[in-house]
Amino acid sequence: MAGGRLGENIGMREELIKKASSLAMKAHRSPGKPFLSEKSRGSPEIIIAFPGSWSVGDWFSGRSFGETKVDNLFPSVRSIGNDEVGLANEAFIRRFKEILRSLENEVKKAERRQIIFAGHSSGGPIAILATLWFLEESLKPNSSPIPPLCVTFGSPLTGDRMFPHALRRESWAHYFIHFVMKYDIVPRIMLSPFSSIERELATILSFFNPKSANFEQQSIGRDNMTLNFFMIVMRNASSLASHAACNLMGCTNLLLETVTNFIELSPYRPFGTYIFCTRNGELVVVKNPDAVLQLLFYCLQLSSEAEDKALVAYTSLQEHLVYERELQESLEMQNVVYLDLLEELPLSSDVSSSINRALNELGLSTRARLCLRCCWREYKTGCEVRQIGYYDAFKLQKEDRDFHANVARLELAGMWDEIIEMLRRYELPDGFECRKEWIKLGTNYRRLVEPLDIANYYRHLKNEDTGPYLIKGRPKRYKYTQKWREHAERLSIGSGSESCFWAEVEELRTSNNGSFDAMEDRILQFEQRVYRWVSAQELGKDVFLDEATFMKWWKKNLPSQHREASCLKKFIGG
Amino acid sequence: METEASSFETSEMLATFLATTPLLLESWKLCSHANTAAAQSFVVNRIGDVTYVAFSGVQMVSGLDPSCRNLVPLVHSAPNGLFSALNRHGDGEEPVMVHAGLLHLFLSICPNFLNQMFQIRKNSKLVVITGHSIGGTLASLSALCLLSDLQFMMVSSLSVLCITFGSPLLGNESLSRAILQERWGGSFCHVVAKYDIVPRLLLAPLAPLTSQLHILLQFWQLSMNSPFFRELSHQLPDNETSELFHFLLEYLVKAGEESARNSYWPFGNYMFCTDEGAVCVDNAMAVVKLLHLMFAMGSASYSIEDHLKYEDYVRKVTLQFSERRGHKQGELPEYSYEAGITLALQSSGISTHEPVSGPAKDCLKMAKRMGRAPNLNCTNLAIGLSKINPLRAQIEWYKALCDESDEQMGYYDTFKQRVASRRDSKVNMNRIKLARFWNDLIQMWESNQLPHDFLKRGKWVNASQFYKLLVEPLDIAEYYRSGMHPSKGHYLRNGRERRYEIFDRWWRDRRIGEEENDKRSKFASLTQDTCFWARVEEARELLDNARSERDPMKLSLLWNNIDQFEQYARRLVERKEVSRDVVAKNSSYSLWVEALKELKSRLHQQLPPQL
Repeated sequence: MAGGRLGENIGMREELIKKASSLAMKAHRSPGKPFLSEKSRGSPEIIIAFPGSWSVGDWFSGRSFGETKVDNLFPSVRSIGNDEVGLANEAFIRRFKEILRSLENEVKKAERRQIIFAGHSSGGPIAILATLWFLEESLKPNSSPIPPLCVTFGSPLTGDRMFPHALRRESWAHYFIHFVMKYDIVPRIMLSPFSSIERELATILSFFNPKSANFEQQSIGRDNMTLNFFMIVMRNASSLASHAACNLMGCTNLLLETVTNFIELSPYRPFGTYIFCTRNGELVVVKNPDAVLQLLFYCLQLSSEAEDKALVAYTSLQEHLVYERELQESLEMQNVVYLDLLEELPLSSDVSSSINRALNELGLSTRARLCLRCCWREYKTGCEVRQIGYYDAFKLQKEDRDFHANVARLELAGMWDEIIEMLRRYELPDGFECRKEWIKLGTNYRRLVEPLDIANYYRHLKNEDTGPYLIKGRPKRYKYTQKWREHAERLSIGSGSESCFWAEVEELRTSNNGSFDAMEDRILQFEQRVYRWVSAQELGKDVFLDEATFMKWWKKNLPSQHREASCLKKFIGG
Repeated sequence: METEASSFETSEMLATFLATTPLLLESWKLCSHANTAAAQSFVVNRIGDVTYVAFSGVQMVSGLDPSCRNLVPLVHSAPNGLFSALNRHGDGEEPVMVHAGLLHLFLSICPNFLNQMFQIRKNSKLVVITGHSIGGTLASLSALCLLSDLQFMMVSSLSVLCITFGSPLLGNESLSRAILQERWGGSFCHVVAKYDIVPRLLLAPLAPLTSQLHILLQFWQLSMNSPFFRELSHQLPDNETSELFHFLLEYLVKAGEESARNSYWPFGNYMFCTDEGAVCVDNAMAVVKLLHLMFAMGSASYSIEDHLKYEDYVRKVTLQFSERRGHKQGELPEYSYEAGITLALQSSGISTHEPVSGPAKDCLKMAKRMGRAPNLNCTNLAIGLSKINPLRAQIEWYKALCDESDEQMGYYDTFKQRVASRRDSKVNMNRIKLARFWNDLIQMWESNQLPHDFLKRGKWVNASQFYKLLVEPLDIAEYYRSGMHPSKGHYLRNGRERRYEIFDRWWRDRRIGEEENDKRSKFASLTQDTCFWARVEEARELLDNARSERDPMKLSLLWNNIDQFEQYARRLVERKEVSRDVVAKNSSYSLWVEALKELKSRLHQQLPPQL
């Protein structure tokens, strides 16, 4: 588990981290400003730090975990094939939108400098969303080629599992760096439903607020309410961690599913690089989101029944406010441990090694270590999927009248269905849907085989059994592969459906008794799409052969003035 | 590429998860309340979205009375088809049986319970049914009754979880198996204290110890009802309790070994609670062995007191999450799985130098399902499906050929009257291979080797339906071709394979909202009622009988049935829900229609003019 100095490993200089942490704390003390920015002369970076907020409404809104669908601000935070949209904390999104206008101006001023977005506490989520927004912007043409960085200190969790999935797929995850003190309660708060901590949260937040009378008050920290709050947050973190561990360990007991129906589990998940810090200057770097989730819980556990729970609860508040000071020291000491070979973690705490020293510092029991081990996932299934590569899809074309071609078509469909199934369960590597060779294979397969499936569908009149092909009958394997290509080439959604050409023709042929007037708009749109596909050579010109269904219909059913003016005219001879 | 299902032990992790949820503690609190405040009845309490129903452990003592120990068939002993989903027929299997006394007790409380449930279901989607001691068996029966009803009504909006504390066993191995097959095992969690004698009692014949049992039952019930009586435990006659303990221990040793037929058997999950933690096990054989091994570590007085100590166990296990719990003694294996087993053993309160630790370790290993992980199984099945699809395609091809053929018989009759041609025997071979594939799939589904959401995948439901539509007619043809029906009876009642009934259910339960299209412009590609041909065969027999029957009563009955079939078939044909092979000129259906016409006209001629 080598890795060298922290700064080199995570791609951010130590000195920059220290500056960011100071600026993030300073932002809290600068009322009225949406953020602070700092660029030192000659430095290639600019730091933008966001202040936190201490009102309950800025942490949770509405629903039990205060989550909402991320909207078009973050189009990448979704799964491609499954088309699931990510969830993020609604209150954080709202606060981010409030400052977006002025942030845009600030970002323009950065010119050719790298931007570091930073935030402490609830300033963290704003820094995260700002970074994400910046990354989304950078996909547009003529945008800054310099990737940003995001560094947070004791930030609450911000988004659901779609965040780690999408960020790893887009190779953005390593831009996000999160520092978390071992006992800091704040990064764990979002693991509890709001209803369970509603009574205590306002007081707890006032403890962190420099302008509140309760700021760092022992009377709050030592209060029974704090202990109560700590236990509730820990219990919910434990539920989520043990539930995740059961699944990762491959528990097949049906009880797991039944019980899950009865309780609320937080949707929030960590992503990016986490650095767990102890008061003794130990820095533990974890990049696996599942392992981070386990650590968020297990670090909180008390060492024994005898340990003073109330004291630990008090510490869990205090540690939220020590980042600036602690990091100054820890970054000097460079006691850094990288937890990446999770499956080889030592289980027993008495072996002496640097890893074990760090794990013991974090207070990880054997059970905790087993839970970390199970986060290591090997995508064995991926190998099985590879079989599909052996099939030469092009062979199909030459002998498509042959029974064997049909057999090969069925077998191939089975393979593709399995890939889709694994994607649906998020069992393939996050970046799978962006891999060039798979997009190419999928597109070829789709263009070649889908027309055969459509022909079969309408020949067997399945449209009368189940409904139109495009709505009811289209297999997922085509929908997914189409979406992969649309995502990779940044096409608008639905525009890459050239392989459905024949299904659209069949539907046009049979709907509205073929009357032209009722469908004029639909036909015009369709023709434009066909024009585009044929021009781009995504669709072969053989569709214009006189004998093909399309031409028969086009010539017989459409009025001649329409045909004369049609954009397809130039492709159609005579 | 064979891979181990998983290299981790999860029985302890699952128990940890369960213990961090509020479900366990809230259930126990209500049980305890029901014990003191609702003797011979139950109480209801709603917390958030979850409604808890707790049956009191204080019930009429006859519940465990040895005279009532005998098992009675569940489905037939309960009125109004209460447990109809557990009906198992055929296969020469023992019927599902439960404890007569406990069933009787449940039936007396049942109308009241169903009334309450009717109210609860109006505004609650999550129901936890719970109970301590005998209350636990009442909770299990209530949950079974509810699950059976939900399945019958095809409702899936209600989730049911049954949590019992120190419940006696309820039924036989068939019950356990039926619950597995219905995939209800995840709805039952029996919490058992390490030494508690009650969950073990029914593994032994108790007749010789009636009097001791009576004293004990009375003691427990009094103590549950009012904690004051707990002080009396030392007044229990020592020698008699110890006699009971040793008597039971003797039977427990053998319990796992002997054939379990005709005796009690656990079902669902068992959550064993000890001072050290908890483990959750759902393999019935492992449960029986653990029941024995833990009991053997106790003593007579522990075994009796533990039945009243659920309060302590539940509080302890629900607070355990907050502490770091490491490995306590001995060498810790370096492999994740072995280490997990060692920790689970520790949570079961069995230390490594204990003599029972070896067998207990084997139990935990046995409880873990070996073989590939469900998702991998599913992948393999998908590949299997794509490999057998060509076989199905060949049958489709065969059907198309028959439809085109000059003989105009359709594939049903062609197959039924086949002479040994290579083509026909190939089709028969395919039919058998397909049946094997689907039977294996059902077996995997029922033994929980497939992912939970298997049936939510349209692919499998659609594939099974399509298989059924295409191949069941051939199975019917084979049944009548090989002359099974004179000996076994007609296909519909006696010959239909269980897989088709299961596929019927899958198809019925699939996502609603897929409205059937009822306008067809052509005959369907496959007949939509797959039993159509079986009905034709029965109608043929009816017609034959009608020709020869002389008794006017019987004759009118026959004609009644013939008319019914005729109307049914005509409607299908009119709505084009049959495939074209049904109306082929020489199909047995067309021949039957002709025969009917002929018979009718002959009857008309025979009729005396005055009528």
